[in-house]
Amino acid sequence: MIKVGIIGCGKIADQHAEQIQRIRGSEIVGVCDTEELMAKQMHERFPVKAYFSDPTRLLEVSQPHVVHITTPPESHFELAKLCLEAGCNVYVEKPFTLNTEEAEKLIGLAVEKNLKLTAGHNSQFTHVAIRMRKLIQNGFLGGPPVHMESYYCYNFGDPAYAKALLGDRNHWVRRLPGKLLQNIISHGISKIAEFLTNDSPRVIAHGYSSPLLKSIDETGIIDELRVIINDNNNATAYFTFSSQMSPTLHQFRIYGPRNSIIVDDDHQTLIKVNGARYKSYLNQFIPPYIYAKQYLGNSWDNMKKFMKRDFHMDSGMKVLIESFYRSVLGEAPVPISYREILLTAKIMDAIFAQLNSGHACFSEEEIGERKA
Amino acid sequence: MSHNDLVITFYDPILITGASGFIGSKVVETLLASGYKNLRCFVRPSSNLTTLKQMVGSFENSKIDLIEGNLLSPEDCARASDGVSVIFHLAAGMEKTFPGSFMNSVVTTRNLLESTLQQKNFKRFVNVSSFAVYSNFNTKRGGILDESCEVESELVERYEPYVFAKVKQDQLVTQYAKQNNIPCVIVRPAPVYGPGKAEITSRVGIDTFGIFLHLGGSNTIPLTYVDNCAEAVVLAGLKRGVDGEIFNIVDDELPTSRKFLKMYKKNVRHFKSLNIPYAAFYMFCYLWEKYSNWSKGQLPPVFNRRRCSAYWKGNQYSNEKLKSLLGWRPRVGFDEASKRYFEYLKNGRKSP
Repeated sequence: MIKVGIIGCGKIADQHAEQIQRIRGSEIVGVCDTEELMAKQMHERFPVKAYFSDPTRLLEVSQPHVVHITTPPESHFELAKLCLEAGCNVYVEKPFTLNTEEAEKLIGLAVEKNLKLTAGHNSQFTHVAIRMRKLIQNGFLGGPPVHMESYYCYNFGDPAYAKALLGDRNHWVRRLPGKLLQNIISHGISKIAEFLTNDSPRVIAHGYSSPLLKSIDETGIIDELRVIINDNNNATAYFTFSSQMSPTLHQFRIYGPRNSIIVDDDHQTLIKVNGARYKSYLNQFIPPYIYAKQYLGNSWDNMKKFMKRDFHMDSGMKVLIESFYRSVLGEAPVPISYREILLTAKIMDAIFAQLNSGHACFSEEEIGERKA
Repeated sequence: MSHNDLVITFYDPILITGASGFIGSKVVETLLASGYKNLRCFVRPSSNLTTLKQMVGSFENSKIDLIEGNLLSPEDCARASDGVSVIFHLAAGMEKTFPGSFMNSVVTTRNLLESTLQQKNFKRFVNVSSFAVYSNFNTKRGGILDESCEVESELVERYEPYVFAKVKQDQLVTQYAKQNNIPCVIVRPAPVYGPGKAEITSRVGIDTFGIFLHLGGSNTIPLTYVDNCAEAVVLAGLKRGVDGEIFNIVDDELPTSRKFLKMYKKNVRHFKSLNIPYAAFYMFCYLWEKYSNWSKGQLPPVFNRRRCSAYWKGNQYSNEKLKSLLGWRPRVGFDEASKRYFEYLKNGRKSP
């Protein structure tokens, strides 16, 4: 039985608890929030053994094997360090840390103590993301990726988050180095990082406040971001974050030398784009039919999964947590490689360094120089 | 009401949280119209203050402070409640998640209650709760629902973040009042309607599935017009001798759901609706609940028997306690209230 603790009892903690409940052989032995009322309300709604307002008490009394850190990002590093030092494996919600330096320290500590760490990049483990990974492993692209496009958008039309953020000048998101972007884009960046081969890719970022935010005098928040990533000329990638684009895309496109794949997280569709061309007019008749057939197949697959009770809203989180627990038990490697976690952090650092300085930087070294 | 009946004078400071909200702004107006001269209106920085500013502008002889802040901040609470005699606590968390709703209703209320402990001349804390906290699961169809009825205890099964937060908020207020001798009154308004409210109460029906499902049938719909509700809230904060009491706020002359919907269609706009008998929808909720359990939450149990019962089973409602202890009478009758409401909807807002 894996004993699990959760630190931070806000909105995302509910999703964690719901998924942990669905995993056989795991139990939540304690939850903790510095606001005791929040810890108590979670304890009342979930089958949780105890609640605490002090993380050290959770670690001492409940002695969890794994701790999920679901607090605002500013505290991720200190709490994860505390848990690792207490001998716990740690699942850290996204963004993993505030910067690469913190990420490196945590990973170093985990390796030193022979413990496991993972980041909450759960959109990497949705049904379609897993299918895409298998196709790529089986050589569908026909070689290493040539180019990638990752769209990870956010709709300010969702009043709950936008109101909480825009209405509160002291909201914790405003204190992050990358502000709103830091809290959201790691999902989309990690999708690119997984397929990069170079550890120091060149990054060019361009960001600005949308006309919507400017109209309400909100110029401190950047909500439109375009990024070009160059993997030392092995592969390139575009990353797009937008609060104004409609539809609010969560899409990943990966282009190989022979074929390509388009994965849509919102609709849970995976489309195989075949590089072969048909003769003459057939090239306009046959491929649309093939795509239509694929979309129908996706729809049918999704319905089948739903009928089999395997299509929960947070299915990616469940798969990630389950895979992480298996790695803790020594049955599998960590679900997200430490290299991928670090590379995601490095790319994000590069983006924020450029946005904050107003200048484009191109490599990790240059970012270091600018920081210095 | 004579001065001897009141816990404060016209010059004692009064704090109103959620002052820019639908009921809050009307509470401010009622207090000003009643002659209270020293009001503190607590609002969020993101609040739209146009209506509130226009309204307070017409009471030039009163001292009205607009305080921007966040009730999650104990410092903001202390600043707002410094020296006040009465607090009307109307701010509430309307978020759709359990933690969000809880944090913005319960943690905020705790902060506010804590801040009152420092006040030497504190007379009353009015906690504005909701009719939704009641459970009629074990009550007969058509039975009386009043202050003595059971409050929802199966909050996980009921699966409504707002209800969860409001029940916990009421519990916290009761506990704080007892432990710290804070004079408190809890008021539980029925669904409030009037100009400013855009939606028809879900007790009439819902449009979740793309068509308006009329679920209220011939049930009496508990309603309170915003002016009547504000007066009741104000009385609950001012009337001497009602500390520790709970009051349901519901008007006289309540319409049936069918009548209300018919009036809406006639006076605002026509739309298609489907009448669903209570038994049929109860069965639907039962099956949904079972499926939710069986599928381990693939569909969350948003439709469940307890919720179905609370909103669409149908009860009779009493305001006797409000009338006898506070001397409240609904000043605006249903005919006039509905006329004003439908005019407002017709001239601007769309519903459902």
